[in-house]
Amino acid sequence: MNQGYRPIAGTPVEELDTPCLILDMDALDHNMDVMAGYYAGRDSKLRPHSKNHKTPALAHRQIRRGGTVGGVCAAKVSEAEVMVHGGIPSVFITSEVVAPIKIDRLCSLAAQAELLVACDDAENARNLSQAAAARGVDLGVVIELETGLRRCGVQDISQGVALAQTVQSLPGLTFRGIMSHQVIPALPEREDRVTEGYRVIQGVIDLKDAIMDAGIPVEIVSTGETWSYDVAGEIPGVTEIQGGSYLVMETGYSYMPDFQYSGKVLTTIISAPRPGVAVGDAGQKTISTLRALPEVEGRPGVSVASMDPDHVIFHLEDGARLSTGDQVTLIPSQQDATVSRWDRFIGVRNGKVEAVWDIQARGCHN
Amino acid sequence: MERPVFQAPGTPIEELDTPALVVDLDVMDRNIATVHACFSRSNAKIRPHAGRHQCPQIAHRQLRAGATAGGIGVTTVGEAEVFSEAGFGNILVANQVVTRAKIRRLCALAGSTEITVAVDDPLNVASLSGAATASGTTLGVLVELDVGLGRCGVAPGGAALTLARTVSSSPGLRFDGLLAIPPVALSSPESGAGTNTLDHSRLEGEAKSHLQQVVDSRELLEKEGLDVATVCVGGTHNYETAADFTGITELLAGSYPLMDHNLGRWRPELKPAARILASIISRPNGESAVLDAGHKATGPDRGLAVLDGVAGAKATRFSAEHGVLDLAGEVAQQLKPGDKAWLVPFDLGLCLNQYDYIRAAKGAKLEGFWAIAGRGQFG
Repeated sequence: MNQGYRPIAGTPVEELDTPCLILDMDALDHNMDVMAGYYAGRDSKLRPHSKNHKTPALAHRQIRRGGTVGGVCAAKVSEAEVMVHGGIPSVFITSEVVAPIKIDRLCSLAAQAELLVACDDAENARNLSQAAAARGVDLGVVIELETGLRRCGVQDISQGVALAQTVQSLPGLTFRGIMSHQVIPALPEREDRVTEGYRVIQGVIDLKDAIMDAGIPVEIVSTGETWSYDVAGEIPGVTEIQGGSYLVMETGYSYMPDFQYSGKVLTTIISAPRPGVAVGDAGQKTISTLRALPEVEGRPGVSVASMDPDHVIFHLEDGARLSTGDQVTLIPSQQDATVSRWDRFIGVRNGKVEAVWDIQARGCHN
Repeated sequence: MERPVFQAPGTPIEELDTPALVVDLDVMDRNIATVHACFSRSNAKIRPHAGRHQCPQIAHRQLRAGATAGGIGVTTVGEAEVFSEAGFGNILVANQVVTRAKIRRLCALAGSTEITVAVDDPLNVASLSGAATASGTTLGVLVELDVGLGRCGVAPGGAALTLARTVSSSPGLRFDGLLAIPPVALSSPESGAGTNTLDHSRLEGEAKSHLQQVVDSRELLEKEGLDVATVCVGGTHNYETAADFTGITELLAGSYPLMDHNLGRWRPELKPAARILASIISRPNGESAVLDAGHKATGPDRGLAVLDGVAGAKATRFSAEHGVLDLAGEVAQQLKPGDKAWLVPFDLGLCLNQYDYIRAAKGAKLEGFWAIAGRGQFG
């Protein structure tokens, strides 16, 4: 385990060893306040996705700040373990859990906290049932509907109703509701997001109605994410929104000024070998570049030209200067794929370290 | 931190909890033997770049295979600390170390480990010299040349000579020679992914022109009276060229034991030893299957992982936590939830960066869990 760098509270940002992943605490608080404000007094609530930060301390902050269902989503069983062990009372695994070794882990967790899991297959439901019944625990099952992402999920309403009936008939399982994921459409205009949100979310609402018509109560309708938090949240029938990106934010969501960039990577210039070029110590092992290179904060004329696993290469326009030892702040294009490379967040406010949190579920792929 | 189920040695590999990063030790040992054999016939030696795999067990195996420079290379001070603790007594930090705190850590390490570091800047040389003198240690120094990568390094020739002279006259520093990391053409996904036919004679010509610039600088420095003991060049892609190239003393290479899809296209004699075992978690329709390994489990930034060995299936799309296989043909269409599939990572370093443990395997059975001890030592 990487015991690595852990600065003490009060350390000035410019003295931080680099590269490091910082969290702007004011931006973090702002982002949580936006969600708390929006969901206050609504029937729908946020169930923050913990795959984005992988950190129980941040999950507790999200829940305390308000506007949530009082629990989180997780992508993987091992991630859910970290959240349950970290004291989160309710965890929804938003993916199918199939392997017997994972189903057993799931049942152990269900003895300690409320556990919900996604399902799209009757055979899988029977396996979940058998394990839960044998262990004497209850697993909440949420049926996933495919709504354009072309990934997991039952393909249509009739499959969904049939699976709900199967789940309801199985011991050890409680049918809790339905969910859907959407393609993130990158629509800058809110009006377009509303139109698209209603269009893609209609599927789960139809499925909900059909299951209820079959005489089965549907307690949870979970859908939406950061891009549609204020669309899904107002669609009648939606009970939970799976938002995660809003907390750390990324340039990929630059069209949503509601939220501020809180997660950033600090790098130090280790070489300025030629005019117009400087090299920093943060490479692709520290920042996701799959969608786009990171942006440079607050240094006009400086941009990221390229990255390799261990370095970032800056292009300097005429007049821009970077010297060896200078610190540069990078804003990632994709937050969760960046956070998942780090062992800890360094929370910063007013130019000083306020808190250091281990990203306990980093590497939890299982 | 990864939270694997530590299954017992002897467990059949396909029973491992997934996603799992699995290294086939037989394949790895053959790769190591192939490359080291080339250097056993050469004056040049191998310096294993442990920063590529971050695993002390693998680096120890490389040193035991012979034909080495007797030490390893890493990229960061944190990695040097981890590998020093793991018993390595000779470490090249093949990168610039510039901040005061990091230079101090480097000097502290130099008390117990032979440390060499790369430089490309006279001010940095002065800082290293001051710190080494103050702590009563000696740092070996290589002047880094830029022979076309466009990253760190001074230009070959006169600039290298000037900086080498500065190092030679700095107390606390020992001028050891030159370092160059040549560019690997086709390393980026835009220019590479999907290209299976490479013009090897053109690539070899490029590799030689890079090495020639380094050797020319060596001759210039020696003509001017400097002793150039070490001429170290990077790369697995050019290992045969470097082994035969007069004037090169060390090849700094780290990818060859485990390989990846990208380098495999250059070096088909070296086979992928590190692969990701994934499970199918959903068969939503007749044409696709969904895996439990996505971006976070594969490290896709330089190119997407490639499905290995399922006839008629292809990994076409990945998201953060999932991979989607497009299926064609009868065999593939029989895949069901719970079945396993293998992925070859496109870039080894970015893939291993996502894990804490290698599942070492021999003959399709688990040998044990090996810590990727240097992972996360970014600074």
